[in-house]
Amino acid sequence: MEFEPVIGVEIHVELKTKSKIFSGAPCTFGEEPNSQTVLFDWAFPGTLPILNKEAVSYAIKICTALRMKVDHTLYFDRKNYFYPDLPKGYQITQQFRPIGTDGEVVLQVGGKERRIGVEQAHLEEDTAKQVHLNDISLVNFNRCGTPLLEIVSRPDMRSGEEAMKYVEAIREIVTYLGVSDGKMENGSMRCDINISLRPKGTEKFGTKCECKNLNTIQNIRAAVDYEIQRQGRILSEGGAVEQETRRYDEAQKKTVLMRKKTDAVDYKYFREPNIVPIDLDDDFVYDAVHSMNKLPDAYRRELRQRGLDEYQIEELLKDRDFVLFYEGCLNLSVQSPTNLWNLLMVEILGYLNKAEKKLSDLPFTKEQLVELSDLLSQGKINSRQGKEVLQAMMEEGRDPLQVVKERGMEQISDDGEVEKVVAEVLAANAQSVADWKRGKDRALGYLVGQAMKLSKGKVNPSLAKEKILEKIGPCGSER
Amino acid sequence: MIKVTKETINDCARNLMFELAPGQDELILEDFASVLAQIDFLKSIPGVDQAEPMTFPYREHQRWMREDKPEKPLSSKVALGNSKTRLGNQVKLPKVVGNKNDQMDE
Amino acid sequence: MTKWMNKPISALHDLLVKGKVTPLDLVEDCIRGIEKDRCNSFEATCFDKARAEAKRITQVKEEEYLKGIPFLAKDNFSTKGVETTASSRILEGYVPLYDATAVSRLRRAGMILVAKTTMDELAMGGTGTTGHKGVTTNPYDATRIVGGSSCGSAAAVSQGIAPLALGSDTGDSVRKPASYSQTVGFKATWGRISRFGLFPFATSMDAVGFFTRNVKDASYVLTALSGRDKMDMSSSSRKRERYQNYVLEHRTLKRVGYFRHVLDSIQDETIRKSYLDLLHALSEKGYEVLAYDYPEALLDALYPTYMILSCAESTSNNANLDGIRFGPRPDGTPQTYAQYMTMARTSGFSDMIKRRFVIGGFSLLSANQEEMFNRAQKARRMIVDEMNRFFDSIDYLVLPASYSKPPHLDELTTAWSTKPDFLDNILTIGNFGGYPSLTLPLGVEDGLPFGINVTGRNFEDGYVLSLGGEIESIVQRCDIIAQEVK
Repeated sequence: MEFEPVIGVEIHVELKTKSKIFSGAPCTFGEEPNSQTVLFDWAFPGTLPILNKEAVSYAIKICTALRMKVDHTLYFDRKNYFYPDLPKGYQITQQFRPIGTDGEVVLQVGGKERRIGVEQAHLEEDTAKQVHLNDISLVNFNRCGTPLLEIVSRPDMRSGEEAMKYVEAIREIVTYLGVSDGKMENGSMRCDINISLRPKGTEKFGTKCECKNLNTIQNIRAAVDYEIQRQGRILSEGGAVEQETRRYDEAQKKTVLMRKKTDAVDYKYFREPNIVPIDLDDDFVYDAVHSMNKLPDAYRRELRQRGLDEYQIEELLKDRDFVLFYEGCLNLSVQSPTNLWNLLMVEILGYLNKAEKKLSDLPFTKEQLVELSDLLSQGKINSRQGKEVLQAMMEEGRDPLQVVKERGMEQISDDGEVEKVVAEVLAANAQSVADWKRGKDRALGYLVGQAMKLSKGKVNPSLAKEKILEKIGPCGSER
Repeated sequence: MIKVTKETINDCARNLMFELAPGQDELILEDFASVLAQIDFLKSIPGVDQAEPMTFPYREHQRWMREDKPEKPLSSKVALGNSKTRLGNQVKLPKVVGNKNDQMDE
Repeated sequence: MTKWMNKPISALHDLLVKGKVTPLDLVEDCIRGIEKDRCNSFEATCFDKARAEAKRITQVKEEEYLKGIPFLAKDNFSTKGVETTASSRILEGYVPLYDATAVSRLRRAGMILVAKTTMDELAMGGTGTTGHKGVTTNPYDATRIVGGSSCGSAAAVSQGIAPLALGSDTGDSVRKPASYSQTVGFKATWGRISRFGLFPFATSMDAVGFFTRNVKDASYVLTALSGRDKMDMSSSSRKRERYQNYVLEHRTLKRVGYFRHVLDSIQDETIRKSYLDLLHALSEKGYEVLAYDYPEALLDALYPTYMILSCAESTSNNANLDGIRFGPRPDGTPQTYAQYMTMARTSGFSDMIKRRFVIGGFSLLSANQEEMFNRAQKARRMIVDEMNRFFDSIDYLVLPASYSKPPHLDELTTAWSTKPDFLDNILTIGNFGGYPSLTLPLGVEDGLPFGINVTGRNFEDGYVLSLGGEIESIVQRCDIIAQEVK
């Protein structure tokens, strides 16, 4: 029997507000333990939750980007359980009325469009952090109360690749919106994946396993594919999949059992009575939506129109700072987007990586980069010279036009000038001309090289080639 | 409804992180006889199941939310001043071992 | 017992303005009173701090009504630097880092906190007998209860130890003890006074309340306490009012209602007669007195609805009490976090609290919630909807606040009531709907007091107080200090 995988993903996105979701304590990372808290974070009796506006605004942006319906009245609920990292004995969440419902993410998988439903997104608070030592655990409440948005997909994915692309799409969206760091490796984005198999062509869901501890995007694909195999093997052998929570073991490259889901905890959810329903102002929602950063898919459309290929687009989109920089240059009406891409994504990126610098460290302006790009596009300098100029720009903060002038790099593109040089070269290299006519095609390159040499690199090489061919005719004409 | 027995009563207590003293489950069992009868009475009130559950005593328009401005945090010394189980600037507990529940990972 | 503290705020204010007493005189008098307390009314005290604050006050102006006057707070108000236990073992030794808004607002008005008062453990009770320090008795008769949960506050104000004590009211925890102690007890509209710093019992019904000895004092205190607090999202953003003006200007509404079924059910002849006399007097004074047929089934629903909702919310509200961040560490050597919490909570809560928690927890379980918690929430809706219908045509509900003498200590039981008398639970209507509600003295029977209760529409706290003022002038019972009859 053939099986179809059914995959759903839950993502916790840490929102990077300045203060916590229900208290005024600062949201920071890596500070001294228990130095980033206020009364509420310790659940001192009588303290009350006070909702952070910005967390709501961020949630609205994400929901809008995921094409969700945004609830204009906010309600919160309590999820009750006892654990040392949960000081109140309950977590404030949105169990019954999530802020966002019914959205979708559009993925490109194998050249085809796949729409993945997003069931809901809800705001909640993060828990404290525990460190487990030999025989004791230490609790640090700094993280406690960091705003989270949990995004729950519909079980619409069918492969590890789709799950990976879905998570990547969400990661891209939240980072482009600037509302989260979206880093799986440090926990600012956390994924749980539910995987089950069912006989192909049937509707009913099989028993699912939940997979945790996926701290890179690549692990998602690996974990899902492994699970599909594992469950497929069990089912083909006539066995039954048990409901389990598993984690991905990176070293073994497989999922391993954490626990069986026998006794599910009863969270006794009920409405949080300390937060009366909040009616969001239309203006507030409008402002949140209209202050959204441009999303990756919008960039994709625009860049495609500018003639970049898919590879170039995806490379550029990997870092929003580069897209913004590139977009800024495009807005200065650069002549060749491709030349610009090469400068930015090959030369500049290479330099920055090597020098361990950031884009913002570059000592030149976008205008100057566009000038350099246009010099290349117009053939005023050649690519070797382009690199030299860029070097001076990056390392010394020089102006490209000045460098070109100072170093006498401007190419000769005037017909008459080029013809003069060509005539001189042909006269001095009769043997090569003869070789050409006998069919030695390498001779042409040599002659162009001689023209460059004679002109100290200033002659426009393609123009020189054109003029030489005019004089010497097709290759092998006298064979 | 989960059936009310001494066992479910003690389970419920343990889930709330306490043990009942000997004989208390018996008393709660007696209490429950009244509770369940009263639940049945509530059920018998015409229209009760059509009513919308009420949490807030009244509904007023509330639109205020806090600005995202961090406050000055407490020093760890002050914050931990009431804790009887601390080590340095952290809360100290017996090591969390075995039988992990769902909540651990969230 | 006391020289000054047996006077109401209004009288003390005059003395302070005229310079006939100093705030320090008053604090010392209050301390004397506390030391001679005969009802077991007190938890922690803060005498030295109070003295220091009193010394800093050099002058009291006419418009500074509350300045320089001592007050007490129930032990579930967070008080910075003063141990606060909610009369529970699980909070022994806990010294809060902050003042509740109610406390800080009274301080801002110049009042001086002198001590914390006893209560039923975690405010979960109505007898004043379940706190970790034992029974708080009635100042009129030490064999009877003063009622709870704000027992110490009621007993202290009644004994003449302070003219004001803060309390909290989730079911009737201010208004019932006021009735048993011949004091004025007021519960403001839910959201009118910030709950920040009030240890929660059942959030959706908890309200800050207080005891005074006359209605005018109460109105000044409400003015100082009320208003939006950015630390409590449920505090209303409606404008603060000067509630004393309602009382001083006799600004009342005119339609007074009563429940026919309540009147018909009163067994105690003295209470019944006083009640009828009052309704008659109000009618004489030009009030329209109207009977209302509030459905009997909803009256019988009050007890189970209240008990289920309050027990359920309390399990969650008290889940922070685990001995980890505050409160006593468990004896012995717990091997896991779960053991640590379990040991702390097992020894920290009394048997009665645990029983309530189990029932509350049970009613929230996902398999039970629809049948238990949600059904109680639905019943609450019906109770409130019906009360709002009452208020569509009637301005006030006027009812006796208690229907018998204060119970004897040996009559008490902690069991879930098998056949609850709706009269004993009638005041919970005020909490279900969040209404402002006031109890003030109505009469005495064999030397033991009973009160009358006025409940009004949400945010009509001023009108409720002013009708209280009218009743006070009819009944002529105010500024009374308890005399032991037994």
